[in-house]
Amino acid sequence: MSGEKPLSRFHQPINVPGRRLLHHIGLGFVRKKVVGGGGRAMNTEIPLIPFIDFLLCIVLFLLASFSATGELPVDKNVKLPNAQNAVDMLEAPIVAVSGTHILVDGIPAGSTRAIVDANRLTRVDELHNVLKAKRDLWTQINPGKPFPGNVILQVDRKVPALVVKSVFQTAAFAGYPAVSFMVGRMAADE
Amino acid sequence: MAGIDVGGHGGKRASNHEIPLIPFIDFLLCLVMFLLVTAVWSHMARIEADAKVPGPPREDEQDEPPKDKELHVEMRGENHFQLVWKEGSTVINTIDVPRKPVEVSGDITYPELGKKIESEWKANGAHRAATDKKFDRAVLHTDNSTPFADVIAVLDAIYVPTREFTVGGQTETVPAFHVTFATN
Repeated sequence: MSGEKPLSRFHQPINVPGRRLLHHIGLGFVRKKVVGGGGRAMNTEIPLIPFIDFLLCIVLFLLASFSATGELPVDKNVKLPNAQNAVDMLEAPIVAVSGTHILVDGIPAGSTRAIVDANRLTRVDELHNVLKAKRDLWTQINPGKPFPGNVILQVDRKVPALVVKSVFQTAAFAGYPAVSFMVGRMAADE
Repeated sequence: MAGIDVGGHGGKRASNHEIPLIPFIDFLLCLVMFLLVTAVWSHMARIEADAKVPGPPREDEQDEPPKDKELHVEMRGENHFQLVWKEGSTVINTIDVPRKPVEVSGDITYPELGKKIESEWKANGAHRAATDKKFDRAVLHTDNSTPFADVIAVLDAIYVPTREFTVGGQTETVPAFHVTFATN
């Protein structure tokens, strides 16, 4: 045993410490921090519980404000006016008036050309029929309940008042007396 | 890390389990991301109007409602608006308001008209109590060629005065006027 060559430091599990690389470099403050040395400990636990609480709060807020119905369909050609004293939206058929087209919930329901040509208040028959059909369907689905009669007009800001009034009156005659105009919300202090 | 200590003595398998918080945080973060991506913050609102044409007859409606004072807002003048209080066809009072549009980020507003309508309603409005189920009515007279943005600006001014309204035991603040359009 004694004549045998000693194992190298890589094969011997325990050996006497020898020279250390770069021991002359003055990194005493690092050593002091690592081994403790009376200073504040470097190992700190990340506070996970408050972080989870925070995430849960965000999740709950987002779930509460989550809308399964998605964004309100605003025709890209319709530029809405803004108003300060507006109220929240409600669920109702949307009549969009853009250029010469009239759409009810995205389905074509007539044209404004006849109104402009007549240059007087005109009932749009196609719109009237579509709205009346919607009203009849609602009454069949909800028998015995009073029909709310809400309709929302989504009108481009440049459309003349004659067209607006004609569509408004057509909706009223089709059994929708509670007409609202869709607008953008303008801050009250602007 | 959080853990639950439930003993684990007697040579049996230890029952100390660490709750895996990191996958839980990952799950929460995924949920937050999904909700943020699908979130909809709508800036749309609505301005109410009221059609005076008769709808289908309702049992709770009176045959001939009593004539109340109505505020007619005439916006056909180039330089001024005209506020006319009418009771039926009788003109009670006429007020001229200068037409001073204020442009707010591309939109026109009429703050002076709004203030005047508010003071007029405070002086002449008939339905001001919170328990009053009826509302004062305003009638908007507009030119056929007036752009819709202008109509909305005047409607916005008419909705400046607000009142308390109690319905179902709850009181809320609502616009003082119900607005309709003049057809002539």
